[in-house]
Amino acid sequence: MIAFVDRLSKKRGTSVGSSAVSKTDRDVVLIDGVRTPFAKAGAELKDIHAADLGTTALTELLARTQIDVNVVDEVIIGNTGSPADAVNISRVVALRSGIPLKTSAYTVHRNCASALESIATGFDKIKSGTLDVVVAGGTESMSKMPILVPQAIQNILNKLFSAKGPGQALPLLGKLLGADLKQVLALLTANQRDPYFPVIAVVQGLTDPFVGINMGMTAENIAKDFGLTREEQDAFALRSHQKAVAATKAGRLRDEITPVFQPPKFKTIIADDVGPRESQSIEMLAKLRPFFDKKYGTITVGNACPITDGAAMTLLMSRAKARELGLTPAARVLGYGFAGLEPERMGLGPVYSTPVALKRAGVSFKDLDLIELNEAFAAQVLGCVKAMGSKKFAQEKLGLGEAVGEVDPEKLNVNGGAIALGHPVGATGTRLVVTLMKELKRRDKALGLATLCIGGGQGGSMIIEREN
Amino acid sequence: MSIQESIRFTKKDDIGLIELDLVGEKVNKLSSPVMMRFNEALDEVKSSGVKVCILVSRKNNIFIAGADIEEIKNLTTRDSFRTAIARAHDIFNKLEDLPVVTIAAINGACLGGGCELSLACDYRLAGDDKSTRIGLPEVQLGIIPGFGGCVRLPRVVGLQAALDIILQGKSVDAKKALKIGLVEEAVPSAILEKRAFDFAREIIQKGAKKRPKKFVARGLMVKLQENHPLIDVVFHQARKMVMKATKGFYPAPLKALEVIKKTYGSSNRKSSLEVEMEGFLDVGVTDVSKNLINVFYMMESTKKQNGVSDPNVKPHDVAHLAVLGAGVMGGGIGFVSADKGIITRMKDISNEGIALGLRSAHALWQRQLQKRRMTDFEYKQRSAHLSGGLDYAGFKQTDVVVEAVLEDMNVKKKVIAETASKCRPDCIIATNTSSLSVTEMAKAHPNPKNFLGMHFFNPVNMMPLVEVIRGPETSDEAVATIFALAKKMGKTPVVVKDGPGFLVNRLLLPYMGEALYLLEAGMSIETVDRFFTHKFGMPMGPFRLMDEVGLDVGMKVLKIFREALGDRIEVSDLSKKLTAQGRLGKKNGKGFYMYDEKGKELAVDQTIYKELGLPTPTDKLDEKECVERCMLQMVNEAAQALIAEHIANSPAEVDLAMIMGTGFPPFRGGLLKWADTLGSKYIAGELDIYASKLGKRFRPLPALENLAKNDRKFYS
Repeated sequence: MIAFVDRLSKKRGTSVGSSAVSKTDRDVVLIDGVRTPFAKAGAELKDIHAADLGTTALTELLARTQIDVNVVDEVIIGNTGSPADAVNISRVVALRSGIPLKTSAYTVHRNCASALESIATGFDKIKSGTLDVVVAGGTESMSKMPILVPQAIQNILNKLFSAKGPGQALPLLGKLLGADLKQVLALLTANQRDPYFPVIAVVQGLTDPFVGINMGMTAENIAKDFGLTREEQDAFALRSHQKAVAATKAGRLRDEITPVFQPPKFKTIIADDVGPRESQSIEMLAKLRPFFDKKYGTITVGNACPITDGAAMTLLMSRAKARELGLTPAARVLGYGFAGLEPERMGLGPVYSTPVALKRAGVSFKDLDLIELNEAFAAQVLGCVKAMGSKKFAQEKLGLGEAVGEVDPEKLNVNGGAIALGHPVGATGTRLVVTLMKELKRRDKALGLATLCIGGGQGGSMIIEREN
Repeated sequence: MSIQESIRFTKKDDIGLIELDLVGEKVNKLSSPVMMRFNEALDEVKSSGVKVCILVSRKNNIFIAGADIEEIKNLTTRDSFRTAIARAHDIFNKLEDLPVVTIAAINGACLGGGCELSLACDYRLAGDDKSTRIGLPEVQLGIIPGFGGCVRLPRVVGLQAALDIILQGKSVDAKKALKIGLVEEAVPSAILEKRAFDFAREIIQKGAKKRPKKFVARGLMVKLQENHPLIDVVFHQARKMVMKATKGFYPAPLKALEVIKKTYGSSNRKSSLEVEMEGFLDVGVTDVSKNLINVFYMMESTKKQNGVSDPNVKPHDVAHLAVLGAGVMGGGIGFVSADKGIITRMKDISNEGIALGLRSAHALWQRQLQKRRMTDFEYKQRSAHLSGGLDYAGFKQTDVVVEAVLEDMNVKKKVIAETASKCRPDCIIATNTSSLSVTEMAKAHPNPKNFLGMHFFNPVNMMPLVEVIRGPETSDEAVATIFALAKKMGKTPVVVKDGPGFLVNRLLLPYMGEALYLLEAGMSIETVDRFFTHKFGMPMGPFRLMDEVGLDVGMKVLKIFREALGDRIEVSDLSKKLTAQGRLGKKNGKGFYMYDEKGKELAVDQTIYKELGLPTPTDKLDEKECVERCMLQMVNEAAQALIAEHIANSPAEVDLAMIMGTGFPPFRGGLLKWADTLGSKYIAGELDIYASKLGKRFRPLPALENLAKNDRKFYS
């Protein structure tokens, strides 16, 4: 143990910090991680079912790790859209990817952190000794999130489907025709409050169920609270694109991406993230109108993440199992934490959850070498950075004596973030961990934090340490 | 007495139960002893006083597979057939005439005689398991339903539905059987027997009445079809369809149609069954039938074999397969593999290559989806098992690698050596070469006992043959594994020894090569192709086949053969001119024929004669000469490959390979079966004559000469 601490301290050169966390057989290690490229909803991946996106990533993960599928104890996959034809999407992904019938699979949902929840759950099960090998990941097709018929029409349809004979059915069909006309009227007047206006799942999903405002408005709240200007948000968004373009061009992200061949013709090959724009300029961003608060707002579609399609998968196991199988761990999960806060400021979630994760992991903020903080909105990231560095915020909101920690911009989202790459809600958590894991190795660094804000007012954080 | 236990009769109150369970057999079939015992069982039913009797099978997935084909095979005279059929008619009539209501509870295969037995029952219930297939496949064996099927099926399901089944030798699943009225109910298999008893009790409650034996049309279309004169239109259309499908080579469907036409609607069972019997006798004694039964046996024997001489050798499980080289061929192999639940990985040097492989495979799945042969869920599940990558990811899990890269010895050797280093030592590498030496390639593999050839034919999804090419050091386990894998993929494997072109391509060489000489001699392309398709029964004439293979590939292979087999292989000078003109065949829409963008054949390109410097064709050679010049050369080559070089193990394997690999007309029984009808002496004599007139390519080779000397046949 002492030799290990020694080695780590030499490697990092400076403080020993978290290296005091000793290695045990029950450590939960990450073997590898793979994801699909991310693409804005309605674009390149729009026709691919979330289950198929997940299958693409998991098939590749299983190939790369060369693992015998029979050793996988459980598949845990995050997803928020719950496609109606694959409600336990984890099982669908598992069987399509060749995971045997005997292996259990279930889906987890924690909104934007669903795919961090999947790793966290896997971590707990392995740590406790319940399981040895878990596939954890997430998948989301926001393109395919449905548009539902309004409740008023559904009521008619329900009766229609149970109608006996034309005598009962015909009057209902007449009613349906009337209701359809009302729907057209609602659409013509663009009156979303009209009970006949169709229900757009993705919009509802991004609306807070407690305070009834869109996620964008929660970010507006943060921007206003912290006095964040439009300019600094746009500048942050531009940096996200520039970093993502640089990473893509250098082929750094190819390590974690497996190409998607676009069905049904399989002629188009999507090998890189589609979102990062090399041509992005501060002028172009400045031209965009505020999207949510049209009068006083600063949040635009340019400094917020797009709705996105994509999937990411990781393979977790106990250290002992990895040794037995002859696999080399890429990283170790040291701990995680989730915490809640007021839903209308959900974007600050990471400030609340990170101290929890750090404490459980037994490391301190200053020892972090890299941070992946999901960019739902530039305002929300900038707000987190400010709040984390604020002793006052820590004392008033977190009940801590000291600030969470100063975020070094050079360590934050070094390959760009969701503003450029996109945020397929059910997949991002795993994406952050995978990107972090690969970058730690590339930079020869040890400790990383992956964290994101969660719609409904939560934050999630996970600390990992590079193994090799 | 085992036969006694094979058919058991028991009763419980008013309900009797006949259980079919042939002792010592995997399947129930109606051999003579079984029929005799069944006859006795009917007497037991009669004297037991039951009101209803249920028939069930105690075999898994089999109700009754049919008559005993071995017995049919051994019957050669009209009289012997007559005796056997008359006895069966008596027994089935007795079943039909029982004063007891009879119910066949069918789960699993209920085919041929089994189906006919069920038709003599009052009611049929079917288990909805996917193993349930009810039908009359007789015409596939060159015979017609002879135990009353031609008479009783139309009476149960009506004319159109009966013709669909009988003329094509089809079988239907429980759902379809219910739809056409062949069964009363399609019941979940697990409760089939219970339901049969409930059904019986319901019948008893209703007075246990026998069922009237007349077809009652249901639905407007069927009602219309059953009426004069529309019924004649139905017969006319059916005949047209049969002629189109069989080109008149197969007499059985026409005979069945004739029998049904004569008997349909008649209420005289005795005379109807006599018409059927005479019809059966007409086709039962033909060579076509004997040949088809022979082919059936060859296929059945492949199912039972493991590909090596030692029956105890067990194949390895193949759960993971990799294909090197995606492309169209790789995609095809990926399709047949992933479609059977094997986790399949294609490796290529570019994403574009993988895209092409995925596109080829998915196009095949999508076609099945369109034709409703599979559901969307099945498509998703099966196709998800096919993925691609640029590296060797996953190869450590791979049980078999099929190499389908460029046909270049150096490239292949490099790839094989590299792949072997990335796989487990027990992984088997199989090359899908069509013309290169497997023996030479094996030198690149560190452990050549795990190396061999697995030659798929193009298009992979359509062509049923796989040549398994055993290298000099290939282990029995490796051969057995690839043999079993090919079967799992739905293919018919034939094990062959290494040699130029292996078996099928070597024999096809003179077919295509000689056609060029016929062209030179003033024959037209369409006439030659027509001789082979319409007179001989090949699926494609030699010119059409060359287009399919690709003229560039064909000419390259011709060259390889010439190098390998020496200058007895003569190649027409036309071959050089052909490829020089940029004619590649179907793939670029321009060969002997022209093709549209979808690859559909349009017509012979009439400009080709001029382009090749040939005068306008005169078609002065007759059919016999054209066919013989090609086919007798094939026989000559086959004799040499089989007898002198042991490329294949038996004439039956040569014939099976030719039927499965080239579509050689099954009604002729295969190339060597056909040759035996001519006799080796005749063939050698003809070849000698051609050799003196046309060149040394016809000269009888030593193996054939030997046969001819003693006037021996290939099949002894």
